[in-house]
Amino acid sequence: MNHILLSIALYLHRSSSYKKTKQFARDLLFNSNNRYKRYFDMTIIFLVISSVFILVYEVKHPVPAWLDNYDIYFVSVVFAVEYLLRLWVHNDVSEMIIKEYNDANFLAKEFHLNLVIKKALSEKLKYMLTPSAIVDLLAILPAYRPLRILRVFILFRVFKLLRYTKSINQFVDVIVNKKFELLTLLFLLVFIVFTSGIGIYILEADKNPQIHTLFDGIYWAIVTISTVGYGDISPVTDVGRAISVLIILAGIAMISFVTSVIVSAFSEKLGELKEHRIIEQLNKNRSIIILCGYGQLTKMFFRQKREHPSNYLIMDKDINRVNAAIKDGYVAIQDDASSFQTLRKFDATHCEITMLCMTSSDVENIYITLNAKSISKKIKVISRVNDPENVNKFHYAGADELLLPHKVANTMIYTAITQPTMYKAIHAILTGKSIANIDEIHVHQSHGIVDMPIEALDFKSHKLLFIGIERNGAFIFNPPSSEVIQPFDVLLVMGRKISLEYFKSKHEGSINVG
Amino acid sequence: MSDKNIAIFGYGNHGRFIAKGLHEDGLRVTIVESDKTFYKEAKADGFEEVFLLDVTKDDALKKIDFAVFNKLVCVMDDEHLNVFLTLSLRSLFQDAYILSVSDSLNVTKKLKMAGANKVIDLYEVSANKIYNILEKPVATRLLENFANNREGITFREMVIPENSFVDGKMADDIDFASYGVLLVGMIDVELGHSFVFVTAGISHKLDSGDTIVCIGDKEKLKAFETLLSKKEN
Repeated sequence: MNHILLSIALYLHRSSSYKKTKQFARDLLFNSNNRYKRYFDMTIIFLVISSVFILVYEVKHPVPAWLDNYDIYFVSVVFAVEYLLRLWVHNDVSEMIIKEYNDANFLAKEFHLNLVIKKALSEKLKYMLTPSAIVDLLAILPAYRPLRILRVFILFRVFKLLRYTKSINQFVDVIVNKKFELLTLLFLLVFIVFTSGIGIYILEADKNPQIHTLFDGIYWAIVTISTVGYGDISPVTDVGRAISVLIILAGIAMISFVTSVIVSAFSEKLGELKEHRIIEQLNKNRSIIILCGYGQLTKMFFRQKREHPSNYLIMDKDINRVNAAIKDGYVAIQDDASSFQTLRKFDATHCEITMLCMTSSDVENIYITLNAKSISKKIKVISRVNDPENVNKFHYAGADELLLPHKVANTMIYTAITQPTMYKAIHAILTGKSIANIDEIHVHQSHGIVDMPIEALDFKSHKLLFIGIERNGAFIFNPPSSEVIQPFDVLLVMGRKISLEYFKSKHEGSINVG
Repeated sequence: MSDKNIAIFGYGNHGRFIAKGLHEDGLRVTIVESDKTFYKEAKADGFEEVFLLDVTKDDALKKIDFAVFNKLVCVMDDEHLNVFLTLSLRSLFQDAYILSVSDSLNVTKKLKMAGANKVIDLYEVSANKIYNILEKPVATRLLENFANNREGITFREMVIPENSFVDGKMADDIDFASYGVLLVGMIDVELGHSFVFVTAGISHKLDSGDTIVCIGDKEKLKAFETLLSKKEN
């Protein structure tokens, strides 16, 4: 028996398809970046809602048999499969066995399969006892036909929704944070309810026709303390009334106390929740820009009369600056871009992230650059460098592009001095303000102009000036007109914006026929 | 380029970097400061022509003939002082070309009103550059090289001499590409003094006295300039 189990574990350990399947199941259930998780979630939510709808409809109307079968069997089977999947991916029994076996071999001690299996199963059992697992299990139960009472458990399916809606999870998180305060209050509540319930029972059980049992007393206490006051049971003696006055006052105090605890917990967490939402929304995009620091440069960046980047986020350590940014109408959060935790929240594997380090401190910028690069090499970093002496350090840190405000100014002053006529032209070209835009056309594989010679493109009639091609990192200036365009070339072209756009749209993606 | 003279007012936060950069670019830099510590730092950094003046006093400014400089660059740390200085320089030297550096939008306006010929807003140009890097990385990098005059391909402006072979011809009729240069734009004297890009879509008649701006390899540009002065070829 031991032998068989061990060889099964070994087989699973070696099987890559088993691991792949398990990883896929895990992704599907937990990884919010998984492509299919959304569909999976939506299916489950649909099943829950339809099932509850049928339950409600059934009360007054006859339900067709197929609908009933759908509800009882199909939904339950799906839920059962989901439950088993969750149980399955919770831990790796086979891995535990192998590890234990290897360790035992290594230490030359006896290998106890029973112990490992016990340990693995106890972990599974622990999972089964978590509230969400219990809800999952209860949601399957209505499938058992003979016990109609189990139909009510369909309501537990609603609880399943909790898992699939994030806002409720966050609500629960907030409540859990205030566990101590709430538990203290709950204890006090239970104490008051029981003492006054017992009190009224002792005092009035023989005088009040409505109170027969201790349960009646406690029920009355709860109805009164909650200020609901149905009035089906009311005290008849003066002492009983005195007790009700006391617990009504206690109830009002306690309700306001609980409310304030929850509200304060929320206001404490509100910033974090908002931040979470913003980052989550951002991560859905294909490319995002993170601006670190809300200083002069960032302000100027947004004041340019150009299209604003849509998927951006401003991050600053200083809450005052963050508030200023929000006041100016931008999306901003207070967070430290130089912290690993912060940047890890962004999905670097699926989106193209561009970090703009625009703080006025070089130390800060270098740190952010390093931090971003340590998360993923794929993150593109454009960093501001204030002191030219630090340029090398930024290169070592891995910044993709450097921006030296003083150097840019230098270039302009230099041009203004050496080429006065050109100055305006170069300035116009560099800032892209005037009719002379220099733009690049990236040629991809399916681009219509691939394999065409330059003369066939007829830049002149498009009122464009063709300057050259960048190919494999080298720039070919003014290539001969017989030169053929290759895939992945970058064409450098100058002209008015509309001419450029017209040219691009004319050739974009069209398949070159003939 | 040692014949190009510039005076930089201010050796503070921005001034020092601009001064060093321009010095590396081969320009003759003269520094004027009103602050003693900055003055000493400028000296310590190896600048020879450093003056310590109270820039708020006209008499002090008059002592040096700033008219001999090609450009006066105002980069005082104190923005109030910078505006005041620009104003003083303008009133003292009407013909001087004053270039002021600002680091915020409000100051830019004031400097312009004070009479600066050109105001460079540090953060504006930088912000622009970020946009360019984001939108067109290749073009930005290449253009930087062209403008910086450091690599093979660059811009050059040339005046069409009299009796040039292009004199009287339409710009479209001349095949610049065959000379290894490209025509970017021109100042057509007939049409006033504004710069017109070729891509505006109007064919211009080239006359002697017009300034044309070409892009191309440095050597080819030089060769083309000498060729321009020839008659028919």
